[in-house]
Amino acid sequence: MSAEVLLGAAYAALLLGGAVVLEWLSRHTHNRSQAYRTSGFDYDAQHDFWVCHQGEQLWPAEFDRERRLVRYRARAAVCNACPAKRDCTDSTGGREVTRAVDPWPHSEAGRFHRGIAVMLVVLACFELSVVLVRNREAADIAVLAPILALAAAMAWWLARDLVRTPSGFPDVKPAHGNRIGSE
Amino acid sequence: MEEKSARRSFLLSKGWLQAVIIVMLLGFTVLGILALRTYQEGAPVPVKIVDPNGDLVFDGDDVSAGQQVFLHNGLMEYGSIFGHGAYLGPDYTADYLRRSSNISIAEKGGPPVDKDGMEIEDPDPSPMPSADVARQETINEFRRNQFDEESGTLTFTRSQAEAFERLIPYYTRFFSADNTENGLRKEAITDPEDLRNLTAFFAWTAWAAAAERPGKDYSYTNNWPPEPRVDNKPTANALVWSAISLVALLGGIGLLFGAFGRYRDLGWHGREQTVVSFRDPSKVTLTPGQKSTAWFFFVMAALFLIQCFVGAAVQHYRAELTSFFGFDLAAILPYNLLRTWHVQLSIFWVATSFVAAGIFLAPMIARREPKGQGKLGYFLLVALAIVVFGTLIGSYLGIHGVIADAATNWFGLQGFEYLDLARFWQVLLVVGLLVWVYMLFRVMRSRLRREHPGNMPWLFFLAACAIPAFYAVGLLARTSEDFTITEFWRFWVVHLWVEDFLEIFTTVMVAYMFVLLGVVRERVALMVILLDIGLYSVGGVVGTMHHLYFSGTPAEHMALGAFFSAIEVVPLTFLTVEAWSFLQLGANQEAKSDAAFPHRWAVMFLVAVGFWNFLGAGVFGFLVNLPIVSYFEIGTALTANHAHAAMMGVYGMLAIGLALFCLRYMIPSKKWPEKWAKVSFWGTNLGLAWMCFATLLPLGIMQLYKSVNDGYFEARQLDFLTDKTTEMIEWLRLPGDLIFIVFGAIPVLWMTFLGVKYTLIRSREGGGGDDEAGADLFTVVSGTSLEDEPPEFQSRTDPTPGT
Repeated sequence: MSAEVLLGAAYAALLLGGAVVLEWLSRHTHNRSQAYRTSGFDYDAQHDFWVCHQGEQLWPAEFDRERRLVRYRARAAVCNACPAKRDCTDSTGGREVTRAVDPWPHSEAGRFHRGIAVMLVVLACFELSVVLVRNREAADIAVLAPILALAAAMAWWLARDLVRTPSGFPDVKPAHGNRIGSE
Repeated sequence: MEEKSARRSFLLSKGWLQAVIIVMLLGFTVLGILALRTYQEGAPVPVKIVDPNGDLVFDGDDVSAGQQVFLHNGLMEYGSIFGHGAYLGPDYTADYLRRSSNISIAEKGGPPVDKDGMEIEDPDPSPMPSADVARQETINEFRRNQFDEESGTLTFTRSQAEAFERLIPYYTRFFSADNTENGLRKEAITDPEDLRNLTAFFAWTAWAAAAERPGKDYSYTNNWPPEPRVDNKPTANALVWSAISLVALLGGIGLLFGAFGRYRDLGWHGREQTVVSFRDPSKVTLTPGQKSTAWFFFVMAALFLIQCFVGAAVQHYRAELTSFFGFDLAAILPYNLLRTWHVQLSIFWVATSFVAAGIFLAPMIARREPKGQGKLGYFLLVALAIVVFGTLIGSYLGIHGVIADAATNWFGLQGFEYLDLARFWQVLLVVGLLVWVYMLFRVMRSRLRREHPGNMPWLFFLAACAIPAFYAVGLLARTSEDFTITEFWRFWVVHLWVEDFLEIFTTVMVAYMFVLLGVVRERVALMVILLDIGLYSVGGVVGTMHHLYFSGTPAEHMALGAFFSAIEVVPLTFLTVEAWSFLQLGANQEAKSDAAFPHRWAVMFLVAVGFWNFLGAGVFGFLVNLPIVSYFEIGTALTANHAHAAMMGVYGMLAIGLALFCLRYMIPSKKWPEKWAKVSFWGTNLGLAWMCFATLLPLGIMQLYKSVNDGYFEARQLDFLTDKTTEMIEWLRLPGDLIFIVFGAIPVLWMTFLGVKYTLIRSREGGGGDDEAGADLFTVVSGTSLEDEPPEFQSRTDPTPGT
């Protein structure tokens, strides 16, 4: 077995590992960023509402179809009388918190990171294929083929999510939220 | 008195400003001391070099003349010296050191060498008893420093002097070859005196690389390059400071995240943001100065595309050295000419975008524009075009030998990598940048008068002032100066100007964009800018020295450079993570607004900047930053990997992002090429990522392995670069380059063309906007975003409360 086969296989594995790390890192960064924006609020997934640090509950107020978001809002009267309002919101209609309804990668930046991850995996496939064409002995195929199969599966899985999930970015045309109650 | 009382006070606590000023003062004080030490302790150029009989071998003037032959013929864009330069040709310090030490060993009874100074493979490899003795004697001779500081005389041993005489014919054959097989033009250098001086320059660098510093057990270059024939191996400093800088990096990241994780009061977390409605960009009235920038962006995109084509040709030399698909490209466009165009254009097109964005934003900040700004804009554009095309033509004439000597220096090329342009064009560029600062000043004058010097308008203006100021430092690097000193000043431009001051200026511009759009409060933006300046200055200023580990500067440059450039990665990591939150506010993706955010792709390019800042500057940069890694790696494809990912990934993406921001106001909303913006975003990013991951990174790793395992000299030889596996890796890059050019650069050119087209149409139709010049770009729907504005501005706007 030539050094080129071993190097090719090792580098392809490195690229696949890189794609996994990038995927994890971008998801983690997004979650962290999301946590900052909802800092001080706890989400109750079972009953689908948020609780602020003053104990007020925020219930779903509307579903924004354009941005694929659920908007949760606290009662205006409670917020306007709250001593922590200055550090919480400028709105006189009560504090609002949003939650994306689509799975990751639902944001435009998430799609960018996913796009780079897909590219890394496609590159691994391409590189393995070139090495495979240049080295066609049984031992070479035995080393390269399983990694190529893994890379192809990863490419399919990552790309499928990328195509299916919307970008979550509003169009250039004006966009409005739709109230849940009016639907 | 009235004006004074109307001046807006500083928006933050004075501690912010004081901290930034102290950090910058400390950084530049240390850098000043290191400048002094460079002059005092830099590798000396002897007045004369004599043999043991006292006969002259060559003198200091020959070394200086040889250095100028090297630079003016564009050889720093072919190979390298002290590891710095281009990567196709060899490193001439390592090259001369290997050949001269081989000759010395052979002369003392070791393995014989051929006429090129390379060992001849012995058909009878029985051990030679005299070889070990010959090797040890050579080590002793090369390491013994026989330079007499008082008289300025360096005494070569007999074998060193003989090696010099024997290597002149070798370099003569190489540089005056009647073919283009090495990527240089035919008969590139033929003058015997030039060739002798060039060899003297190589000989001096090789001497500095092996001779021990007075009182030290390592050479002037900290034992670089690795070369067992002269016992050059990593110094204790390289190992210890690598370990310390690694600890500093890990500890720094932990401390910073710990501190800011605890104190989440930087201002953009947790709180619900003000909701604003964005004004339709095509209804914003543009000033004459702003309209002139349409042409700047068009020129920027054209230069970008040319740089891409030139880069593709440069890359082709590495994949197929002797021909371009059967055509002898080197006869017309040799490798070194294409590479100098490639690196110079990278600076030119990025700088064009930054200059244009500055002219575009200034009236939005000042809310006025004096008469004549448009004419000044066109004047600056013409001046810029003269500098760019003068530089490209001058480089061609210089490298083809049409002009020579002083004429080359002034109108051809100086030849320092990244500072290649001739002195005349360099001076003209500084003048042009000063005109640009003047243009910004005349727009902002009245606004500055009403602002505290720590507030954003002043930061915008001061950051702009730093651009010509620090670029002008490059004038201190003169081709006739000692090489170690020229390298010191060159990196003030390559590192300090590019990596620090352009970074700061763009941070201010991006922050201001978001403030003008109403999506980030001015106070928050100011915090981010000052944090950015402070954190970058902690590591970035002294960190400049990480380029000078092996250039003949003393060991403290290595120690401080390694430590501070390692901690430079700390703010890079931190700011990348924080920038994400900042950008999310900027994009305001989730806010409920009547008008959608108009700068989707400008912001996406900024998101890409964050990604490449972390990967290209942070990860790939740190990969080559530790002295112990750099010792084996410098001048390999790993450096090119870092350079591409950081320069294009950070500054290139920023330049395109700024262009899209401005173009959005020039092209009517109905005509806005949303699809082309999307295509260019994905084309540039995927193309660049492919470029790095398909070729530059794996090749760099292989070359590093080769350098550690077989030797640095071997890793830089054309034999390695033309190896079959290496060639395959070079060809793997082709799809990425095609994606980058076809789907990245060409759509950018098309969009800038539309910018020119619609600006001309709007001018013919008389304006096109329906607002007064300087009107807000947004309307507040709910909340308050003008709380920090001066009273006179608050009264000018009439935010409409939303329902």
